[in-house]
Amino acid sequence: MRYHQMRNALQHSSNRFLSAKESFAMYQVRATPFLRHALFVFLFVFPLNAYCQQRSALTGTVKDSSGKPVAGAQVAVENVASGQSSNTATDSTGSYTLQQLAAGNYNVTVTANGFTSQTEQVTVTANGTQALDFTLAAAPPGQELPNAPSAAPQEPSLQDLGISQQQMQGNPQLQARLNRRTEMLKIHQKLGLITLAPMVAALITGPMAKAKGRNGQPVEEPTQANLDFHAALGSTTAALYFTTAYFAVFAPKVPGVQKRGAIRMHEALAFVHGPGMILTPILGAMAFKQEQDGEKVHGVASFHGTAATVTVLAYGASIVAVSWPIHLKFWETK
Amino acid sequence: MKKILFFVFILGALICTALPASTQELSQWALDQSTLSYHMSHPMHEVDGVSHAAKGKGICQSGTCNFLLAVPVKTFDSGDSNRDLHMIEAVRGAEFPMVVVRAQFPESELNQQWIHANLEVQFAGQTAHYSNVPFQRTQQANEVRIQGTVPATCSDFKIERPSFLAVPIKNEIPVRVDAAWHKQ
Repeated sequence: MRYHQMRNALQHSSNRFLSAKESFAMYQVRATPFLRHALFVFLFVFPLNAYCQQRSALTGTVKDSSGKPVAGAQVAVENVASGQSSNTATDSTGSYTLQQLAAGNYNVTVTANGFTSQTEQVTVTANGTQALDFTLAAAPPGQELPNAPSAAPQEPSLQDLGISQQQMQGNPQLQARLNRRTEMLKIHQKLGLITLAPMVAALITGPMAKAKGRNGQPVEEPTQANLDFHAALGSTTAALYFTTAYFAVFAPKVPGVQKRGAIRMHEALAFVHGPGMILTPILGAMAFKQEQDGEKVHGVASFHGTAATVTVLAYGASIVAVSWPIHLKFWETK
Repeated sequence: MKKILFFVFILGALICTALPASTQELSQWALDQSTLSYHMSHPMHEVDGVSHAAKGKGICQSGTCNFLLAVPVKTFDSGDSNRDLHMIEAVRGAEFPMVVVRAQFPESELNQQWIHANLEVQFAGQTAHYSNVPFQRTQQANEVRIQGTVPATCSDFKIERPSFLAVPIKNEIPVRVDAAWHKQ
């Protein structure tokens, strides 16, 4: 409302140009919807990020009666209410972790070769990690598990292959890191596609968003509306773009992985559309200011449209790079 | 009496000739080279992840062959590091870093064109069994090459199917095995 009052006042005093102070005030008013959009996006997206970290889990250790860890023990959980089950195996330290469990009561059964199976009931709370340790008693002679890894004398063993216990040992911390990485990249992927819509729309509405004609004719109502719409689209695009980038930049990295394949092109193109997303709004603001001052858009500001086009093309290409159907790659032979 | 002694002699001779047959020779096989590849299918992507890092050994004794193959999950390469990391995450490859395959088949099939093996596959913290999986056997000089496909599925190992653009991959993830062995 304040913006429209100001604009009407400016239209009635059409014989004078906007002063710098008035332009800044107008910019502040115009920026308010952007801030609202950005606030909405950040309020919506960051809770999503926080949600990803909130998983119920069950963790613990399995040891024998002497306190030694039992590796390879099968840990199976069954939700008492829903009947849904899940299982895992202990690592070389006898530790196990079951993630992504819904809150509720579970029957937890541990079985291991040479030990009597044991079942306990546990309540898993929402967004928490429940600990449950087991101490297994030795099985009576002759009791064997049907699915225990075979180790008869005439069968080769992992030791025969030169595979150490350390190589078989799991790394729950790395798994948690990978899980977190995937969750963040899934959000990055979805937001990235959503961002494309306002980005393309902003590019299309760009040529229509002229505060004044290039010859300095008076401000007309329809073109101002177009400018508002274009600015709102640009603001939304910027907010979504940088939120999208956040989920990629801050996704956990996995050390020692050499990047190969389409992801390299995807990341390389970010060095084009990233600076483009910073430069385009700046050039747009400069062009806007020049037009408001009754000047023909000149200097670097005249590259606003070009910068926007290059940015959108690079952004689109980065999406295509990681989503183009591999089996339709005509330049590769399988 | 002579007849009884003759009968005992014949019986003893039969037992003596039968004994070597029951304690058959133990033969061991070592893996020369191998290619294991899983195939993943999505409406937009057809992906093959390949590993040449398997280690293996086989022992044949008493008419039965037991072969063991083990391959680190992280060695499967689909040509895209991002996708490979996603695969490791989906199959819990950090928690269970090794795929272990135990194959058992009659020793008599070791000289035939087709081997039908019973498989026990430990992967992603789960164990799945496959019966009578056919493998083609070819021989060149001292090297025996065994090729076949394990009809694995995501559900066999309780793997949540990865999705792209909200569309999950197919449940079937057949694993092609091509392994060359030599007798030690």
